Order: sequence, then structure tokens, then C-alpha cells
Amino acid sequence: MPHAFHPPAQLAELLGDDSLSLEELARACRRAPEWVSERVGAGVIDFQQPESTQAERAGGGSSASVGVGWRFASTTLVRARRVSDLEASFDADPHLAALTVDLMEEVGELRRQLRQLRPMGHGS
Amino acid sequence: MEFKDYYDTLGVAKAASQDEIKKAYRKLARKYHPDVSKEADASARMAQLNEANAALSDPEKRAAYDAVSAQAAAQGTRAGGEFRPPPGWADGYEFSGGPARANRADADHSDFFEALFGRAQRGSSARGFERGGTAAQRGEDHHAKIELDLQDAYDGGTRTLSLRAARPGPEGRMVSEERTLEVKIPKGVREGQLIRLTGQGTPGFGDAPAGDLFLEVHLRPDKRWRADGRDVYLPLKLAPWEAALGASVEVTTPAGTVEVTVPAHSRAGRKLRLKGRGIPSATPGDLYLEIELMLPPSESDSARSAWTALASAFPEFNPRETKGD
Repeated sequence: MPHAFHPPAQLAELLGDDSLSLEELARACRRAPEWVSERVGAGVIDFQQPESTQAERAGGGSSASVGVGWRFASTTLVRARRVSDLEASFDADPHLAALTVDLMEEVGELRRQLRQLRPMGHGS
Repeated sequence: MEFKDYYDTLGVAKAASQDEIKKAYRKLARKYHPDVSKEADASARMAQLNEANAALSDPEKRAAYDAVSAQAAAQGTRAGGEFRPPPGWADGYEFSGGPARANRADADHSDFFEALFGRAQRGSSARGFERGGTAAQRGEDHHAKIELDLQDAYDGGTRTLSLRAARPGPEGRMVSEERTLEVKIPKGVREGQLIRLTGQGTPGFGDAPAGDLFLEVHLRPDKRWRADGRDVYLPLKLAPWEAALGASVEVTTPAGTVEVTVPAHSRAGRKLRLKGRGIPSATPGDLYLEIELMLPPSESDSARSAWTALASAFPEFNPRETKGD
């Protein structure tokens, strides 16, 4: 019989396009922040730059250092965890893992569209 | 607890080299990866593979597991059979701990694995916890998927989740536990978006906070409508004369029943946009009605007469040469 040791009816927080910090993303991937920043630098993972930081960068400000002000979308966390899993499971090169995740995302989207087009009850 | 034969899970001999274990794991991981596998139990199999790989790919854990296996064999225990390691079985083994690279399946480990390695995975912090909690460490985040209806994205709602996860038990050793959790889903969720339940991950050690629970949202297919980001699409079925002459029709949408004015000269495939009636948000999506033409029946004599009259009215009409198609 399930044992509920947490309080009921937790209000979920909807994570938007700039909800996660570098540290939060890294922690959710069970990786160090350096792992994330390396993949951002390699173009494997995208980030959002707050407007204030963008303005500082445009004005020659010094806060353009790695990771400062970076924010990540919740969908990026799903992607980053997939990249992390593939790298760990197959000792994969980050770019190869990213390519595989690109294809996984595309397959997932095509499957979703296929499910939508199929009459209900005709399998996944 | 149920004894696990990790060598059998990976399909390798007990004398297999690390390279053979790695190859076997990768081959099976390709087959059962939940994102690509068509096997019905892919997620469960992948969790078993990850667990076996976590135990056997680390020489320290493998040595400890081999010792436990020998004890199990001495007890006559087979895979799937009941087994309880004797107290102090891990004495003499020093696990490296830290972020185990093979430990990817969050909260998916069996009781057997958690009993053997759960404490060790937490490394020095777990030992600190046993000594009085001097080494605080934030609990791990957990990840799960949740399937919702598009209507939930409009209205929000409450869902009861059943989760299985590890938590510190007596003496600091991790134990696997099933729990239920009621979650209030906020309005505005989209396909692929994450929702976070702060503090619903693994409890922290010492004074450190618990980890968070992340739920990846997937919208259940619905023949009535579909979402693309915040935009929502649904078919608008019209009679040919409604499309040709224009009409005012009532449409049931996830946002409620709305009255829509169909412009004259509408064609099948044309989209009518209801701005801001998509998934709610600070910048809400739009609702698109995709026109489909439905033909009235033609079985009765009167119906056939009507169709014949229509055909007579358009002697030059050839649907296979319609402009714009």
C-alpha cells in the first residue's frame, strides 16, 4: 500500500523559457556547471541571455563571462539530460550525442504527428 | 528483497571483461532506449540495464556485488529469489561515491541495488549523516513524465501521481518507497514543458534541502484537437453551402463554445484564426479552425435529385482542374 509521507496537493511550478539557472540545469543533469558551459560553448545546448546582460555586453560590460546571467528553458533541460545520458552510456562525443538527440527530437515530433493523424485505437 | 543477477541482465558471463560488459550494455541500450525502442517494456528494461551496468561497470561495485552473489549462491538463492545480505556485508569495500556516471536512471533502482549501493552512492555525505549530519548535501532531483489532456492546459487541474523513489531509511541506508502525490497542474502547460515540484525529490542530508521533482508534460492525443506549441488546431466541419455562402456556426473548443462567422467562398483546408484562444499564457496562443467539407447523403431519390440539379448548375466544373489545388 502506498505510503504518503509528503503533504498532498502540491502546487506545481510551470517552467518557462528562462526558468533555470546554470547551476539548476547542471544539478538536474547530475553534472558540474562546467559540463553545461562547455556544451553551451560548443553549441550543443542553447541558453537565454537576459536583456539587461545583453545590453551590458553591447556596451562593453564585463558580465559576459561564461555562465553569468544565463537562463535555460525547461525544454533545454530535457535535451541536456538526453545528451548527458548518451555521453555516459556510450562514451559519446558531445557533438555526436547532440546529433543523436536532434534525431530523437525529430522522431518524437514525427511520431506525435503520426499519432494525431491516426484514428484513435490504432496503436502508437 | 529480490536478488538480481546483473550478469544475466546484460547477457554476459561472470568472467566477462570490462570491455565485454561495456559492449553488451551498449548493444542492449540501443535496443531498449525508451526514445527509440518499440518494445512495450522499453523503459523498465532500460532501467534494469542501467542498474546492471552501474553495478558491473564500476570495479569496486562489481567486486562487492560478486561477493554478495557468492553469498546468495551459498544460500541457494537464484535470480528473482528472496535474498537478504548479512549485516556488514560491505565491510572492507570502499566505494568512490560521487556522481556515479553510470547512475542515470533516477529513482529507478531496485530495492536490491539501493540496499547494496544506495548508501555508497551518497559517498562521504552519507557517512557524515550517520555520524551526526555534519556533511549536509542537497537531495537529488527526480524526473518523471506526465500525460495530460489539452483541456488541462486550459483549465489546470489536479492529478494524483504514483511515484517510486529512494529515500534515507534507518541507519542512513537508502530504501525504495512508493508514494502518491497530489499535484495541482497550473494552466498553460505545453507539450514538452517541465513543471517543477520544489522539495519533492530525494530528501537532503543534514540540514540541506530536498531535491526537486521535475515532470515532463506530454499531451494525450485527442481526435477533437491538437496543439502545436501554444497554438491549437481543430477541424471545422462545414456543409458545402456553408463554405460557399458563408455561415454562422457554433464550435466546441477547449476554450468553450464559440460562435464563428465563416466567410463566403471558403475552401477546404482554409484556416480561421481565433486570436488568443489557444493555450492560456501571458502571451496566449491562437486557435485555428481548419475547414473540412462534409457531403450530405445521396441515398434517397430526393437527395439524388438535389445532387443532379447541382451538377446541372455547374456543367463546366471539374474538381480535378480546380485552380489553386
